[in-house]
Parts: sequence; C-alpha cells; structure tokens
Amino acid sequence: MNVVGYAFEEAWASVRRAGRSAAVSIGTIAIAFLTLGGFMLVSVNVQRVLDRWLESAEVSVYLHDDLSDELRAELETYVRQQPAVAAVEYVAKDKALERFRADFPELLEVTSSVARNPFPSAFEIRLRRDATGTAAVDDLTTGLAGRDGVADVRYDRRWLTRLAGIVTTAQVAAGVVAAVLMLGAAFTVAAVVRLSLHARREELDIMQLVGAPFSYLRGPFIVEGLLLGGVGAAVALAGIALLFTGISRWLGSDLAGLMGTGQVHFLGLRDVAIMLFGGLGVGAAAGTVASRSAR
Amino acid sequence: MIETQGLGKIYGRGLHALRDLNLTIEKGEFVFLTGPSGAGKSTLLRLLLLQERPSEGDVIVGGRNLARLTRNQVQAYRRTVGFVFQDFKLIPAKSVFENVSFALRVLGMPVEQQRRRTYQVLKWVGLQHRLNSLPEELSGGEQQRVAIARALVNEPHLVLADEPTGNLDPDLSLEIMNLFRDINASGTTVVVATHDRELIKWVGRRVVQLEHGQLAGLPEAAK
Repeated sequence: MNVVGYAFEEAWASVRRAGRSAAVSIGTIAIAFLTLGGFMLVSVNVQRVLDRWLESAEVSVYLHDDLSDELRAELETYVRQQPAVAAVEYVAKDKALERFRADFPELLEVTSSVARNPFPSAFEIRLRRDATGTAAVDDLTTGLAGRDGVADVRYDRRWLTRLAGIVTTAQVAAGVVAAVLMLGAAFTVAAVVRLSLHARREELDIMQLVGAPFSYLRGPFIVEGLLLGGVGAAVALAGIALLFTGISRWLGSDLAGLMGTGQVHFLGLRDVAIMLFGGLGVGAAAGTVASRSAR
Repeated sequence: MIETQGLGKIYGRGLHALRDLNLTIEKGEFVFLTGPSGAGKSTLLRLLLLQERPSEGDVIVGGRNLARLTRNQVQAYRRTVGFVFQDFKLIPAKSVFENVSFALRVLGMPVEQQRRRTYQVLKWVGLQHRLNSLPEELSGGEQQRVAIARALVNEPHLVLADEPTGNLDPDLSLEIMNLFRDINASGTTVVVATHDRELIKWVGRRVVQLEHGQLAGLPEAAK
C-alpha cells in the first residue's frame, strides 16, 4: 500500500497544482464521454424498442380464397406442430375486413366501394421468444410457402432485422466518433501529465539518486492520468444524468409514447461502469505513456 | 569495497574525463579525491553512483560490477549508497523530515519505524528543531546537514560526497567534515571529492590525487 498511497498523495497534489490545465483536461475527457454516453443513451432506448418489436414479430400466412376447410385444418395442425410456434390464430376474410375498418375508419369508403371482400383469410402465428430470428423460423416460413393453399408468407422480422442492422451500423459509427474524441482527450491528459513531470523534473532526478523504485517514479503520473480520466468520466455521467432528467421531465411522455415503451430508460449499471472504467482506463493509459521519460 | 580497473570515461569529441584509472578503496576507509577542476573527481563519483556508465573498464563496488547492473538493479544499488552534493539536492516542496524519511519510504519500511529513524538521524545532525521547515527556510549549512541525514538514514555502507563544503564558510565546512569523520568512525566507507587543501590537511586522511583523469604522481608507465 506504501507505493499506492504515495502515488495517490502525489497525484492529488499535482492535480491541485495543475489547476486550470487539469480542468481543461477533465473538460475534454468529459466532452468525449458525454458524446459516448449520449450515443449509449440513445442506443439503449432504440435497442429496447427494437427488441420489443422483434419479440412481437409475427408470421402471417395468407391463404387462397378457394382453400377447403379440410386443407385449412390440415395446415393449422402442421403449423401448431412446428417448434418455433407459440400460438396460432385463424383470421377469416370477414374478420380481416372488420379489423381493417376498425383500424382505419377514415378508409371506410374505399372498402365499401369494392364489390367483394379483398382481404384474404390468414393464419397469424406468434413465435416463441427464444425462436425469433432462428433457423427454426426460417424452416417454418420456407415450409409454409411451399404448401398447397398458401398464397403468401410474410415475416415482418425481416425488415426489423434490416432496421437492426442500420442501428448497429449507426452504433459502430458513433463508437468510432467517440473513440476519436477519446483519443483527443487522452492526448490532452498526456500533455497535462507531461507538464507535471516537467515541473517535478528536479525532484524526480533526486528521487532517482535516492534509489526510488520505478513504481515510485512513474506511479504518481499514472495515477494523475487515472484521476483526470475518472473525474472527466464522472463529470460526463453527471451531465448525462442532468440532461436525461431534463428531457424526461419535458418530453418524457411524448418520447415514451412515440417509442411505445412506456418510459424512457437511463443507462444501465453496465453502461455506467463502462463509462467510468473507460475514463479511468483512458487516463491511466495516457499517464503511462506520458510518464515514460520518468525512468 | 571499491575497485576500478582500467576505468575510462570519454565524452563527445573524444574528451577523456577519466583514463585507465586503477584505484582501490578498502572497506571502512575515508578517502579524499582531490585535484584541479576537470581532473575527473566528479566524473568518478558520478560513475560510482551510476549517474553515468563507464566508457571502458570496470567499477566494482562491494563485489558487484556496476557496468552490468540492470535499471532496476541500479536503483536497488543506489539505495545502499548515501550521497551528498555541493548543491544539497533537496526536494524543495518537501519538509526537512519528508526529505529524509523519503529515503526510507521507498524501502517499504513501516511508517512508525521511518519516523523513529528519521528523527534519530536529524537529531544526530542537530536539526531536530527544524523538522517541518522547507529547505528554502534553512541556511546552507543546515541544508547540507539535511542532505547528510538523508544520505545516512538507511545506514549505507558507502557515502559519496561531491564538494560537500563548496557552498559553505570555513567554520561550517569543519562542522560538516566532523560529521563525515563520525560517519566513518562507525565503519562506513566515505569518499569525499574536494579541492579544499586546508580541509584535507585538517581531517588528515588518505588522499587520491587526480590529474587529467589519471592518478597524479605516478610514473607514466604505472598510470
């Protein structure tokens, strides 16, 4: 504990001495992590919406109008036997028309003007939670498409998967931007640590002559970077929490309604840990690089 | 204790600060290194403290060839050697007590023991009343006594001093030399570089005279 205690004592004293330059360094780290945290916050909520949509994704099997009751019953039995299927509902032509009229009353005239019911009867298949997006679902849709009496098979998860792909790409791009910002922040931390090192050059020379181990020589500078990074990340987290509270208060219900999730969510414990440890890590790495000349 | 074999130090443009130096200093000896400016006194001390590496030859201290030590071993070796410089080399932002106790702290010694030893050695050099003072608040003589206390606090086998009285008046110089005599009396090997002939005469110990990086007074063939 001796060397760790010494490193923290000296690092804290150095941060206090550095004053404004330490504040600038903390500020740049905070901006980088505020950006990262903002992306994470948006990502967390978009991901929840996507997950909900993906979980409720259904397979719709549209049937030919001339399908006999016997064939329909056979088809229903086949569907119920599939491992990916949780529940099946048969929607007759009349019921489909009824639903459409209830969901889109403004289009009532359109349906009335058509001579006969244009909606096909269908099976609406709800999938088991653990089965969505698996090979079992692909087998189900492929198998159904080839059967007699089936006009079309629609699986709305396909476009959701594409949407999820777009979201993932956006997340990666955001990650790259955050990484670039963090690199910039790391350079700032390294510059501040180098200034401290320069200010204590004489002291370091004397410490070397006394035979101080390298852990005593470099430790305080690594810890200084660690402190700057950690405080920067903590400031960013506080900023995100403030922003989140403000946005939730003013737009929370609108946003939640738009997303259909009931409420907007803050970062999870894992995300908070990633940000804090990320800040500590970036700071410590910058301190380690900057303190190489202390040897 | 100390043995140099064909020791040489060459700086840029072929300047020989030391040339083929063969010197033996026995354990427990008190030796003055003297000679005019540029004779190689400080260079020899820098090599003994491993602030620099020799260009040629070997320096053997306590049976260890210093040229072969790794960076970590150099630091460990320095912890067994006390040093005193003309310009004191005290850490300006640390108190007298901290300047001395730091040498023990890096050894990983328990805090209570550090405090006791530091107080004892500061009392020995007569500075027990200045424990919390900063170096800039002390006189030259007091600063040098702090440096001596730091050099002694971890009970080294060897103490090296480079012009330790260079910044002090004659009375203070004698006082400092008395401290070195007392250190030597306890069995510690002491090597002091100085060009102060009066001081050397007054202390009356073995003198190694250097000239142009070589032992002076030896016939050319014996150098």
